[in-house]
Amino acid sequence: MSEASARKLSDDLLRPLLQTSWRFYVLVAFLGAIVLMGLGTWAYQMYNGFGITGINHPIFWAFYITNFVFWIGISHAGTLISAILRLVNAGWRRPVTRCAEVITAFALMIGALFPIIHLGRPWLFFWLMPYPSSRQIWPNFRSPLVWDFFAITTYLTGSVLFLVLPMIPDFALVRDRTTGLRHRIYGVLALGWQGTPKQWHRLESAMQIMAIAIIPVAVSVHTIVSFDFSMAPVPMWHSTMFGPYFVAGAIFSGIAGLIIAMAALRKFLHLEAYLHPVHFQNLGKLLLLMSLLWAYFVFAERLTIWYGNEPSEIAVMYVTQKGSFAPLYWTMVVCNFVIPFTILSLRKLRTIPGCVIASFGVLIGMWLERFLIVVPSLGHKYLPYSWGVYRPRPVEIIITISTFAAMTLLYVLFSKFVPIISIWEMKAGDHPSPALSAAASHEHALGETHA
Amino acid sequence: MSALYALYADGDSAQRAINALQAGGVSRDAITVLSGEPIEDQEFFETDKSTWMWYFASAGGLVGLIFATWLTRMTELAWPIKTGNMPIVSWWPNLIIMFEMTMLFGILAAVLTLLVTARLPGPRPVLYDPEIMDGKILVGVVNPANAAAVERALSQPGAEIRRSGN
Amino acid sequence: MSPVSSVVASFGGRESLMAHKWGLAVDLDRCTGCGACVTACHAENNIPTVGPEQAGRGRAMHWLRVERYWEGDFPDVQLKFRPVMCQQCDAAPCEPVCPTYASHHTDEGLNAQVYNRCIGTRYCANACPYNVRFFDFFNPQWPKPLHLQLNPDVSVRGIGVMEKCTFCVQRIQAAQIDAKAGKRELADGEVKPACVQGCSARALVFGDLNDPESEVARLARLPRGERLLEDLGTLPNVTYLSRQTEG
Repeated sequence: MSEASARKLSDDLLRPLLQTSWRFYVLVAFLGAIVLMGLGTWAYQMYNGFGITGINHPIFWAFYITNFVFWIGISHAGTLISAILRLVNAGWRRPVTRCAEVITAFALMIGALFPIIHLGRPWLFFWLMPYPSSRQIWPNFRSPLVWDFFAITTYLTGSVLFLVLPMIPDFALVRDRTTGLRHRIYGVLALGWQGTPKQWHRLESAMQIMAIAIIPVAVSVHTIVSFDFSMAPVPMWHSTMFGPYFVAGAIFSGIAGLIIAMAALRKFLHLEAYLHPVHFQNLGKLLLLMSLLWAYFVFAERLTIWYGNEPSEIAVMYVTQKGSFAPLYWTMVVCNFVIPFTILSLRKLRTIPGCVIASFGVLIGMWLERFLIVVPSLGHKYLPYSWGVYRPRPVEIIITISTFAAMTLLYVLFSKFVPIISIWEMKAGDHPSPALSAAASHEHALGETHA
Repeated sequence: MSALYALYADGDSAQRAINALQAGGVSRDAITVLSGEPIEDQEFFETDKSTWMWYFASAGGLVGLIFATWLTRMTELAWPIKTGNMPIVSWWPNLIIMFEMTMLFGILAAVLTLLVTARLPGPRPVLYDPEIMDGKILVGVVNPANAAAVERALSQPGAEIRRSGN
Repeated sequence: MSPVSSVVASFGGRESLMAHKWGLAVDLDRCTGCGACVTACHAENNIPTVGPEQAGRGRAMHWLRVERYWEGDFPDVQLKFRPVMCQQCDAAPCEPVCPTYASHHTDEGLNAQVYNRCIGTRYCANACPYNVRFFDFFNPQWPKPLHLQLNPDVSVRGIGVMEKCTFCVQRIQAAQIDAKAGKRELADGEVKPACVQGCSARALVFGDLNDPESEVARLARLPRGERLLEDLGTLPNVTYLSRQTEG
């Protein structure tokens, strides 16, 4: 990369850090207000009692668990793009990896809050951790909730490290370009990074190991989240298919989240030279693939239930497809399959706006899908005398909305303090390892700027 | 402290400079090479392999596996509480914990190895030039014994020779 | 035939006690649906009444409920009752899912709920196929002088914990202490949970399933004895004696 183009790259990608417009402050204030409202509502719930939610007997899990599964699902974006594309040496990952990894880290943090929010006695959540307590009792390792704790801790640790380690060379760059207090702070964050070949080798080796390790962890995390449902004898929960079904759904919603985030960054941070339409088309093709996969899983599950004709499962299936949940169910089908399939399979429609529309549809559809897994089954278990109805209450709606604001806020703040596109990885695309074939080297051209 | 270094626009010139320095008797440890991105198509020093990290990561994974096996088994036996007709030491659920701890400790071991071997966090670099962030490669010697010889070795086509310090 | 899956502990000698396995039998022929058992359970176990608004939202807390079924069309309508309480399953699905061991199995075959360990994940309630687990959505209120009705032998649960029928474990323990003090064995029928005591039709029978001569073991062996949702494999310890008469 020529000196001029390298400098332009650094200039463009550092501009969001070094220049701030009034619009940033307005956005942060607006999102911050919503987040504060959410936190206040949670405090209100803890003070006044869990009864202010819409939870009842027998529907003991509803919005909060839906949100939990939804956000953990969104977190699978980073892993897929970053780790898998890194392992297959796909050059077009270079501008995209950090955007994706940030989504993972923040979505996990938000998702991990919900098991605490939904507790009856949330101040005792730490009893899920294995520590030698004075009560001389340990957590029950047979419980899927304890598996959740271990899986999410592992995935969060791995993802945060996977995100933070490659930020070190970029912190060194920001250190070099700033003065005063910022220079000192970024100097500390850069950990004295020099850029010797040994350091680069070590960093890339560590990234390679973590990429290999984080993929099975990600698969296990959402499988274990699905085990929260499949381990209970509830009609349409006790399905052997839930593990792969949930992982596919997670990757599906994660890619949708990533497309939206990238489109927003491209527009608001003026990154048109770095996030090209071909990136969105590639991700759009992946989204189409996941939409088909999701439809396949839903078909396989419902065909099996319909064919098997077991009364309690049929009751749940029909209440979602024909009964009171039918409007939500068919909205989900349209948002998850019909719209994405139409937009993303036609090349003319697979533009950036088209991909964003499809992705918004997928986010809505996948949230509905989680809801339709949790609530209809709980409302229609084996004894019809105890069937029930659920209506969300304002506290649950406010907290749900505030998590979307929190995600956006965290993302906006992150892109203000850290380059959202990994600058050194973009430059490294010019020096591919000789182990790669010529065709793959051409791929690296996609990471280049057209300066 | 004084240093004599040059900035090169591409990996080949930098490699030639390094070779010239080593031919002139400068030891490998005395040569500083810095870049703003990994130059993967150059092996500046042939033996700079980092395959040990895999062994450390695997060892970390093994530690995690043993720890999780011990934790689940010990706690389940320490206070045996019957639940749902399952055995006191339940292997199926324990396997899940064992898998997660294996991966977690493996990842942590890899990161720890990185931090230790790359000497992070480290002190401010002794020899540094912010222009390496613009795609240049820095090759230099701190406190050169024979400044003239070093300057000759560094004088490759396209080099920008600099001095820093006194 | 109720599967006897717990181990009979014998510590040697005629003075040793057999481990009990508590069970209940419900004679659906005798049940009139009067609801005295439900009231007795509320009184004995300090169960709050949640009020009409909360009950309308589906939060009534009847550890023991009498399910009422109408069958047929007028004028050949039949009314059938089934009291449903915690089945104290041998393979209870509510137990392994509790992260803090609040729901676990005792040596006497009871499914115990330890309120102090409960952090309110409500997973056990979802896993229970019989829907017999209840959650304290609010702190129960007993405005004076109603607080005088509280049973001192039973803890008053606070907000955020799960609760359910315990087979009146406080009465079981009291009877066992009495028997031990009197250096005798427990007699069959000596332990009477509140619902058993309150039933005017004597439809509920409680006792030790491990004692082959006890009334409840005899009833459990009857051909008309059935278990609720038996095919789920929960191994419940409540036997329902199905109706033999019509109407």
